[in-house]
Amino acid sequence: MTSTLTGLGEVFVLGVRNLTRNKLRSFLTMLGMIFGVGSVIAMLAVGAGAKAEILARISELGVQNIIVNSVKPPEESKPKTTNRRWIDRYGLTFKDRKIIEQVCPGVERILPVNAVRQRLWHQSHGIDCSVLGVDPEHLRMFGLEVRRGRTFNEIDSSEGAKVCIVRPSLVHELETLADPIGLSVRIGNEPYVIIGVLDDARFSSHTKKALAIDGQHQEVYIPYTSSMRDFGTMTILRRAGSEERSIVELDQIVVRATNSDAVAPTARVLGSLLARFHEKKDYEIVVPLELLRQKEQTQAVFNIVMVLIAAISLLVGGIGIANIMLATITERTKEIGIRRAMGARRLDILLQFLTETAAIGVVGGLFGCLFGLGAIWALVHLANWQAVVAWSSFALALSISLGVAIVSGIYPARRAARMDPIAALRFE
Amino acid sequence: MVESIVELSGIEKDYRSGDGALTVLKQVDLQILRGEFVGIVGASGSGKTTLMNILGCLDRPTRGRYVLNGEDVSSLNDDRLSSVRNRSIGFVFQSFNLISQFTVLENVEVPLFYARLPRRERHRRAMAVIESVGLGHRVSHQPAKLSGGECQRVAIARALVTEPALLLTDEPTGNLDSKNGEEVLRLFYELHASGRTLIMVTHNPEIARALPRVVEMKDGFLGEQVRQGVAG
Repeated sequence: MTSTLTGLGEVFVLGVRNLTRNKLRSFLTMLGMIFGVGSVIAMLAVGAGAKAEILARISELGVQNIIVNSVKPPEESKPKTTNRRWIDRYGLTFKDRKIIEQVCPGVERILPVNAVRQRLWHQSHGIDCSVLGVDPEHLRMFGLEVRRGRTFNEIDSSEGAKVCIVRPSLVHELETLADPIGLSVRIGNEPYVIIGVLDDARFSSHTKKALAIDGQHQEVYIPYTSSMRDFGTMTILRRAGSEERSIVELDQIVVRATNSDAVAPTARVLGSLLARFHEKKDYEIVVPLELLRQKEQTQAVFNIVMVLIAAISLLVGGIGIANIMLATITERTKEIGIRRAMGARRLDILLQFLTETAAIGVVGGLFGCLFGLGAIWALVHLANWQAVVAWSSFALALSISLGVAIVSGIYPARRAARMDPIAALRFE
Repeated sequence: MVESIVELSGIEKDYRSGDGALTVLKQVDLQILRGEFVGIVGASGSGKTTLMNILGCLDRPTRGRYVLNGEDVSSLNDDRLSSVRNRSIGFVFQSFNLISQFTVLENVEVPLFYARLPRRERHRRAMAVIESVGLGHRVSHQPAKLSGGECQRVAIARALVTEPALLLTDEPTGNLDSKNGEEVLRLFYELHASGRTLIMVTHNPEIARALPRVVEMKDGFLGEQVRQGVAG
């Protein structure tokens, strides 16, 4: 058998040479293969990209976290009133927090967030800000690294220190030449001192949404205790001619589960608890781990479509190869006769044509890889998709195309091998 | 004692036709000794081609015994027959039967490929044979760029490259003009002179007359032509 196989390398080279002889025909033959392999590669890259993106999001939000946001209930449920003193009350309450703490299993910690809309003043320069009162742990949990200065400590928290941590872009907007660390500012009417500047890394829009940070305003972080003392729970929104007052006791709570396995059951209990105490749906529960699952489902649909495209292309490609090989074998009947007369065994003829189809498979597969890379490029640059190209996917795609080619070559090659040498020699 | 290269005894070949078997070769006996140059003549339909196919191990006799170069090949299987063709027989066809997309060198190398020789050895031997038929300057040409005479010389080189015991030629000059035909014939006579065993099927009475020994097929029977005045 080894002696039979030694010549196959040369036969393979011959096969590739035959492909270059009729370039258009070879290209058309390989087209199905090219699309099939290309979509396999694109599918794998896009799948890996989506996975990487989700994992990045999840690590931003924390696998063990369940984030509960207060949301304003839909407008129509608000009583129609012209009373200017009307105060809209909605969202999570301190009672909710206490109940969750006491009842909900699998909870390691609960971090409250108090968000108010205030102006941050430096001298006469004012900037609209989302002021987030958070526990010291909050920053670490969401990967908010302090690049300069320091982060909050327990003393800030217990004493309600008038300190804040800001984004570099806010420092930029303040248009001050002074060192931002230690800079005195006013938040609303309260004097605060900047103690830290965060990394410039911004949250993805997705994370912003989950953390209820609106993109238009700068985020400023202060200790939760300071926030509750200085600003309380009432938010006053002034619009042209009207004033909207609302009280939200807890704008957000971050429930940290004891481990990632506890996330799903804890979230379920949390959901039913809140549903019992809230008539209106004035809260939303964001479970990062669930996001992964949802995204995986959409991804699965995409994958099924791509697998179908790949399978159909490869099937059509395989049929195309079988067809062209049958034509080739008829064309080359005389050559088969000559080879048989010169001492080729049936097996030699079989292997020769299988090797030639393998050559089509490999060359088609290589072009398919290029096509796949092109498709990935287009998806990334034109459609803004995420893609991660793994080299192993090329190996997989190439072996698929090789396999398809060989399978479709079996029937034609057997036909060639079974030809009667006398008839083949006489064939014109 | 001169050994025999071909020994046919009681060879018969049946073909299944519409209503029963048709026997195209009937009790054919033939002995060809090493170094002989034998012509086979016969009208078309006489069974001449079938005899050639059997002699060339492309076909098996239905009955009878064929010993080629000391080896009984009458009932070998397809693979073994392929191997016998490769080792012991060189074919030269009327229509050259070169592989058109191959160069001269590659064409001559084909039998050596199936003899499983390493590439370098194939090159060396093929080159030597191509030189010996006077086509050393044409090795990398494709058959389409060669004249008919040159093509037939390539085919002869290919037939010789495995040093076969028997050279079978079927109307080798049939597709050539007289000048090229003569040249090819001269080459065969040279091979004969160097001690090779040749069998040539021919329609051409002129060529047949010149051959040292001629056998004739007629209605499936083989007969020896007895002639006078020709040196054997």
